[in-house]
Amino acid sequence: MPRLRRVRGTVSRTGLVMRTPALQSKDVLAGLLFLFVGGIAFYTALDYSFGTVARMGPGFFPRVLAVVLMLFGLVTLARGLVSRDPVHGRWGWAPLALLVVAITAFGYLMERAGMIPALVVLFVTSAWAGHEFRMREVVVLTAVMCLMATAVFVWGLGLPYRLFVVPG
Amino acid sequence: MLENLAMGFGVALSLTNLAYCLLGVTLGTLIGVLPGVGPLVTIAMLLPITFGLDPTAALIMLAGIYYGAQYGGSTTAILVNLPGETASVVTCIDGYQMARKGRAGPALAISAIGSFFAGCVGTLLIATFGPLLGEWALEFGAAEYFSLMLMGLVSAAVLAHGDMVKSLAMVVLGLLVGLVGADVNSGIDRFTFDVLELTDGIGFTVMAVGIFAVAEIVTNLEHRESREVFSREVGRLMPSREELVASIKPIIRGTGVGAFFGMLPGTGPSISAFSAYMLEKKIARDPDRFGRGAIEGVAAPEASNNAAAQTAFIPTLTLGIPGSATMALVLGALIIQGIQPGPQVMSSNPELFWGLIASMWIGNAMLVALNLPMVGLWVRLLTVPYRWLFPSIVMFCALGNYSLNNSPVDVYLCAGMGVLGYVLAKLECPPAPLILGYVLGPLMEENLRRALIISRGDPAVFVERPISLAFLVATALILAVMILPAMRRAKGEAGD
Amino acid sequence: MKGPISLLRRLGVAVAAFAAISLSAHAYPDKPIRLIVPFPPGGSNDIVGRLVAAKLGEVLGQQIIIENKPGAGGTVGTAAAARAEPDGYTLLVASVAYAYAPALRKLKYDPVKDFVTVGTMGTGPVAMSVNPEVPVASVQELVDYIKANPGKLTYSTAGIGSFQHLSSELFRSMTGADMIHVPFKGGGPAMQSTIAGETNVNIGTLVQQIPQIQAGRLKVLGVGSSERNGALPDVPTIDEAGVPGYLASNWWGILAPTGTPEAIVDQVSEALAKVVESDDIKKALSDQGAAAMKMNPAEFAAFMTAEMEKWAKVVKDAGIEPN
Repeated sequence: MPRLRRVRGTVSRTGLVMRTPALQSKDVLAGLLFLFVGGIAFYTALDYSFGTVARMGPGFFPRVLAVVLMLFGLVTLARGLVSRDPVHGRWGWAPLALLVVAITAFGYLMERAGMIPALVVLFVTSAWAGHEFRMREVVVLTAVMCLMATAVFVWGLGLPYRLFVVPG
Repeated sequence: MLENLAMGFGVALSLTNLAYCLLGVTLGTLIGVLPGVGPLVTIAMLLPITFGLDPTAALIMLAGIYYGAQYGGSTTAILVNLPGETASVVTCIDGYQMARKGRAGPALAISAIGSFFAGCVGTLLIATFGPLLGEWALEFGAAEYFSLMLMGLVSAAVLAHGDMVKSLAMVVLGLLVGLVGADVNSGIDRFTFDVLELTDGIGFTVMAVGIFAVAEIVTNLEHRESREVFSREVGRLMPSREELVASIKPIIRGTGVGAFFGMLPGTGPSISAFSAYMLEKKIARDPDRFGRGAIEGVAAPEASNNAAAQTAFIPTLTLGIPGSATMALVLGALIIQGIQPGPQVMSSNPELFWGLIASMWIGNAMLVALNLPMVGLWVRLLTVPYRWLFPSIVMFCALGNYSLNNSPVDVYLCAGMGVLGYVLAKLECPPAPLILGYVLGPLMEENLRRALIISRGDPAVFVERPISLAFLVATALILAVMILPAMRRAKGEAGD
Repeated sequence: MKGPISLLRRLGVAVAAFAAISLSAHAYPDKPIRLIVPFPPGGSNDIVGRLVAAKLGEVLGQQIIIENKPGAGGTVGTAAAARAEPDGYTLLVASVAYAYAPALRKLKYDPVKDFVTVGTMGTGPVAMSVNPEVPVASVQELVDYIKANPGKLTYSTAGIGSFQHLSSELFRSMTGADMIHVPFKGGGPAMQSTIAGETNVNIGTLVQQIPQIQAGRLKVLGVGSSERNGALPDVPTIDEAGVPGYLASNWWGILAPTGTPEAIVDQVSEALAKVVESDDIKKALSDQGAAAMKMNPAEFAAFMTAEMEKWAKVVKDAGIEPN
């Protein structure tokens, strides 16, 4: 007897079960990610000498691991193509991007502008990533946390951070 | 042993160390009750604060933070059905149901009492078996370390619940990330792409904060906040006599289960909590009560995860092998303090080792004192809107990472790891095996290659040395136990 | 009680500062000085740097703030110091690692042109020890034993390109000893493995070895300095015990970015000399298995040139591939 294949996917408005497109399936994406990272690692590790099993070179471990990762990637990809389990929920690209900007800007400004400007940018940018942005609240929160950070890290722990860097 | 414990209490009861213990416990609880912030993230965030302290005080404070965060996680699990960490996921099941029936007080009290009992037993276990395990570990050379790490990695990957292929892939990914930096055996820079700051590898805090904290915040920001806070009435605080009696045996059983799993590298509190819960459900006369507010369902896992949290220090301190991501962080803190974790810690830093053990017990006692009267306060903390909370967490992440090396590159890397962590979370790839692979990978390669240099290239060294052989056999057994049923199932499916 | 003394000293500083003001428009230093330590907290550079900085700050009349910027064998922090404003408010702790770094890796600064020498702080030798089961009692016996049993012994070091590694390579090139190198991550585990007998020989820092030597877990054969060490007066130098001319000591000094006004360099250098000659610094350094060392800018510059040549040759002779 032919077995009924369970098909997972989203139910369309017409009530029909639609198969999840491959590029929205979590396992397909995970498999591709593993293949991609493994590929880059393997390519980069070609520069390091492989050695022999008895006398391993610096390229031995990376290349073996890269190949294993790519194999796992293939298995995951294949399973994803069959099961088509979709990624759960929506992607939060906007908050991700804002947080990355907030953190990166903090790192960039810390030495060039000082801790307080760096923290102000961090708070305003990351608060932007939230659902509600209330200017007055953000200002108060920033002020309070800047004071706290200064008290804890600079005065309390004596870390060598300049609060403001005066250019010139 | 008694003499050693006495010395330990002497160290731990010094005013400064008591203060650091209290500070750690308080901070840990404070941050542990924050939504989605477990012990790992808490420790990662607070780690830099301990750098200025002397190693003993730093470790005592870290341990305090660790237990505090565990307790804090249980509190939110019971009150708002929001586990602060994976280990308290199980506590949610029955604890939250108890709270909904107005029995939040007894649930919280039993959780505290169970944890305290487990903590006491755990402390005794470490004091008794820690040195023995450590003695034994003195025999460890490069070959033994390699085989042990192999076992740890394999068991971590197989025992982690979830998709096994993905777990294994994450271990491998972690191993690769761990290879970034100068190779110990050849001095050649690998995967550094000519970035000078990568020569020493990617820092642990960079990884932990990026993969867990940053990714967690983005996940929370995907959807609007909706949280039911159950602070209306905590109700009666102390459990009734029947409730107490009903909890005694589960607490003892949970402690046993937890102590066992805690000692094995790669398992840790979450698995032990699940196991303890399943055990109670299995032997209960009326399993139906579970999931509807059974007090045993709170008592056993809570005792279990605390016992495991405690005994997890055994392999970490005596072997230098972290059993979990959190323990890996503790290990990292030790290394930063200039202490080589390993068998010699007990003999070279006895005041650190025994002081820590004594302060574990003191910390547990402090937690009971702290947690019960302050439940009301913790609940109020939960009403802090997330839109205030998360930028502050981002600040701690960024500042914490910068403070490690005073290097902006670490901050950039953390942001990058945040992206990776978020993508992996969306694709349901478990982060814990990644962290374990990242921590153990470089050590494993280093020891493998070192063992082969010393044996002049003879691979037989791994099976000729008895301890190494034992670990390899155990690894094979673990693999067989896990894979054979899966293969049989696959065969069965293909057959019909 | 040192209250009155430090008050007097402060008074002295105030007078000196006043005199300085009358001489130039801008009195140096009028704000805290940053001292970059290009290694993590807890290492020898950090410990010596902090010891000296506290005293130097007192003498200069300004706070000196230590900033650890570790990474890539000290070259990350050094590069940061090279980029800093040459106004005398950013100084750098340099050690022997500064002298051999150019031979080992690509640098983001010019080790000759980007810095001027200010003065030295101290020096600390390596020590050569063996596992107690190795049947030798002196450096000469070890050399003979290796000649009779080529390739039989292994030696542990803190890692490729570490000072311990270079010191071992210097020993090998001077004696032709055939031993197998087993690198570790850091001096601690390397020494542990020699204690456990997994490796046979360890050339490590004296500070680290002293407790193990005293516990009888390591058999010490010699120290790498030109004179015997106060902590172990019975232990000969490697130079007198079988390898004439062998000298391997770490040292710590202070550099300033090129462009720093000469007057300021001299002012700091003189203050540093006072600090290095003080008794508490001498004692604190000898507790670390090290000794105070005083040099003026010109002497330090000549010493630096010699060290850079010496270690570059060791790296070349040992065939260590630069990255």
